[in-house]
Amino acid sequence: MTGAEALLPAIVGLPFCAALIALLAGRTVGARIGVVMPLAAAISFGLALRLLVSSASGPPVFHAEWIPALHIAFVLRADGFGLFFALLITGIGALVGIYALAYLSDLGGSRLGRFYAALTAFMGAMLGVALADDLILLFVFWELTSLTSFVLIGFWYEQEIARRGAMTALLVTALGGLAMVAGFVLVGQVTGTYGISALAGSASLQRTLAESPLFVPALLLILGGAFTKSAQVPFHFWLPGAMVAPTPVSTYLHAATMVKAGIFLLGRMLPIFGASDVWFPVVATVGLATLWIGNYRAFRETDLKGLLAFTTVGALGLVTFVYGLRAPNLDALQILSHATYKGTLFLVVGIVEHAAHSRNLRDIGGLRTRLPITFAIAVVAGLSMAGMPPLLGFLAKEGLYAELLANVALGSVAGLRPAVISVVVVANAFLFAATCKLIFGIFLGPLRVASHDEHDHHGESPGLWLPPAALAALALGFGLAGLTPFTEQLVNDFSSDPHGHLHVALVPTHLAPLGLSLVTTALGAMIYLGRSVVGGWQTALAVAPTMQSLWDRGIEGVTTVATRFSRRWQSGSLRWYFSVILVFTVALTSFTLERGGLSFQDATVDLSNLTWYGLALAGLLLGATYAVVRATTRLAAAIALTAVGFMVAFAFVVYRSPDIVLTQILIETVSTIFVLLVLYFMPAFGTRAPSLGRRAWNAGLSIAVGLVMFVLVVLATGSRFRETRNLGQDYLARSLTDAGGHNAVNVIIVDFRAMDTQGEIAVLVVVGLCIYGLLRARRRVNE
Amino acid sequence: MIDSPVLRTATRFAVPIKVVISVLIFWQGHNLPGGGFIGGVMAASAGAMYLLAFGLTGAARIPWWRVSVVGLLVSVTTGVVPMVRGFTYMDHGVLDFDLPLLGHLHVPTATFFDLGVYLIVLGTLMTIFVELGLEER
Repeated sequence: MTGAEALLPAIVGLPFCAALIALLAGRTVGARIGVVMPLAAAISFGLALRLLVSSASGPPVFHAEWIPALHIAFVLRADGFGLFFALLITGIGALVGIYALAYLSDLGGSRLGRFYAALTAFMGAMLGVALADDLILLFVFWELTSLTSFVLIGFWYEQEIARRGAMTALLVTALGGLAMVAGFVLVGQVTGTYGISALAGSASLQRTLAESPLFVPALLLILGGAFTKSAQVPFHFWLPGAMVAPTPVSTYLHAATMVKAGIFLLGRMLPIFGASDVWFPVVATVGLATLWIGNYRAFRETDLKGLLAFTTVGALGLVTFVYGLRAPNLDALQILSHATYKGTLFLVVGIVEHAAHSRNLRDIGGLRTRLPITFAIAVVAGLSMAGMPPLLGFLAKEGLYAELLANVALGSVAGLRPAVISVVVVANAFLFAATCKLIFGIFLGPLRVASHDEHDHHGESPGLWLPPAALAALALGFGLAGLTPFTEQLVNDFSSDPHGHLHVALVPTHLAPLGLSLVTTALGAMIYLGRSVVGGWQTALAVAPTMQSLWDRGIEGVTTVATRFSRRWQSGSLRWYFSVILVFTVALTSFTLERGGLSFQDATVDLSNLTWYGLALAGLLLGATYAVVRATTRLAAAIALTAVGFMVAFAFVVYRSPDIVLTQILIETVSTIFVLLVLYFMPAFGTRAPSLGRRAWNAGLSIAVGLVMFVLVVLATGSRFRETRNLGQDYLARSLTDAGGHNAVNVIIVDFRAMDTQGEIAVLVVVGLCIYGLLRARRRVNE
Repeated sequence: MIDSPVLRTATRFAVPIKVVISVLIFWQGHNLPGGGFIGGVMAASAGAMYLLAFGLTGAARIPWWRVSVVGLLVSVTTGVVPMVRGFTYMDHGVLDFDLPLLGHLHVPTATFFDLGVYLIVLGTLMTIFVELGLEER
């Protein structure tokens, strides 16, 4: 299986390469750079398909060491569920990529370069989430999807509403991601492994986890990540807000892939946490509430994308609910069904918006004559969404109702099953009604468009209608394949549950689920026909503080507190900053020295090495320092300070420390240049004598700093200090053997402590970029 | 900028020498005093001298921030390459190879990491010099 393993990193890595190409070449190539998306998606799709065909003898695993000391590894594993998601991500990615080429053709190249870079990178990150077999690796890809989706939602960043939508989506999902990683770390701490399949496959690890007091906190934290990502109640509000994104993005991220990452995580966690008592009440309740709120609210919407967004919330709630019922064998069917019809409808709405210049149902209607192909596609997808035979949506709904009638967990409390079934049936009836409202509203009735400029009407180019047609064909094809065992085989192979078996057939074998379907349809038709009455009820029942407004208020509160805090601590006065830093230095150093158990008795201040030139140097140092303090102009102070620095360098010469001499001299040179550059902007020096209190404070602080440093140096000469802290000796001994270098100082920087250096240089780069950005922006404003 | 023919003439000689020395300091860092940080500071001081003598013309046009970003990429790549070959992140080794003109070379992979440090220090310092200089105009 060596060949199959190597395909895994290729599948995940390819989109990232495409992102780099899009970023670098976008400016020169122009709008055609968009081909990287369908190309990368198609190749990854092909590779994933090959893995699916060839993985007869167990799922292929790619393993590379990452941080072995923490048991974190770079592991990709292609089981059925992961491959299902990979195929979904790349397949729909290819279609959306083709659509986007036609949809976004009239924009500038550099902007599109960034857009496609974010889109392909997003695809790579999603593939990483789907195929990762290590919790920490999964988290890294997870956060990458949040970041890239932030860029994608904020594509029209000139508009405030786009920036707000992007910001809300990022904050909600990133907060959830942080909770999730905290849960992962708890799991890793308790079990000693981050391997997902290892945890799912080992009964003893699960027992260790379940017996730990950290079990419930870990579960709730991880659920926080899943619920925020998949827009579950009460975090559902970010998804409709994210509809400001361009339609291909909404289709790809907010219908087909990213929002499904949360339920994907639930599918991965169910084998590990599913036995818990907490699982069913929490997950099933949240899922059911989300299903209800999503479908109910969708019927109120008149904005086409808003309506689709809320039905997506409902559909995600449905899958969460299914996991809550511990019925994972239903998942692949529901996810596949939703991805095919919802992806189609989003793309259809994009065509409609292009043609009618509005996406509000109040402004448009009767487009069947103008967009006949789109109409046909929308009807097929709408039938699937409404759960009509012979579409895939019908199979999905039948499967759900059969599960509700038979589920063990629902039988645990008397009266629970009928209550839950009625909620689901009414919610699905609202979904049916919302579907009618969408399809009939757009295409039936007299022709209405928002703009009557005849030249401005985009029609249906093949690039626009082929991708939704392909998705709708899948919804129809998989539905019809329900006549054969094909669909049943497919969704069972793709399920996160390899053991359970789901029966799927287009011809119903049991009458009870079919009866529920008929009730749903009849109820839905009644709701749609009585839509003015139902709409009135909905308006009357609407609760005043929505989650969105509560969230906004919370964010406002955090911003206010942060602003006040910053005003207090970041006053802009260098004197204040310096005081704070020095006070903390003094406090921390004296605390550590006090705790360290060093005493003056051990100190051996040996003055035998003292030479006359050493003494002379000390005298010069004192003189130069005095000159700094007594200087009357800033320039004089700066020059005197440089003199101090060079005296210190000489001291290192005397005591033979060539490395530090070199560094000290160069740093002194460069910082003098800095000071001289900055002097230009500084106010005049010492025009007003400082107050007595300030002088007393300065004197006290200076004396404290000097005293602490003196004590530190004296104590450091003690024998115990050398004995207990022999890290330096250790590094010296290993420098040549382990790292092949004679210069231990440099070996420590670039090898032994390379991770520290990595952090420091990253900070340096960020500081440079910040100065560049801030000063450039300020100059641009001034000009 | 200081308008002085003496400084300009001196700079013409000093800057190339300083750059060469900075590279030497960087290169010998693994065994003798030196390394990427000091080398980078040295090169930046050469850049500062150039700016003082010739003003914000030639050198200011170079997008120095990109140099530091390239440095960051170099150092991260050095860390990632061992991962691909089955080691951990930033697990350095020593490369020994023979080249036709230079003879036998003994290069610890940490040197590439150090090259990243060199570029970052040079790029960041020069960015700050140029930006502060542009402010003064």
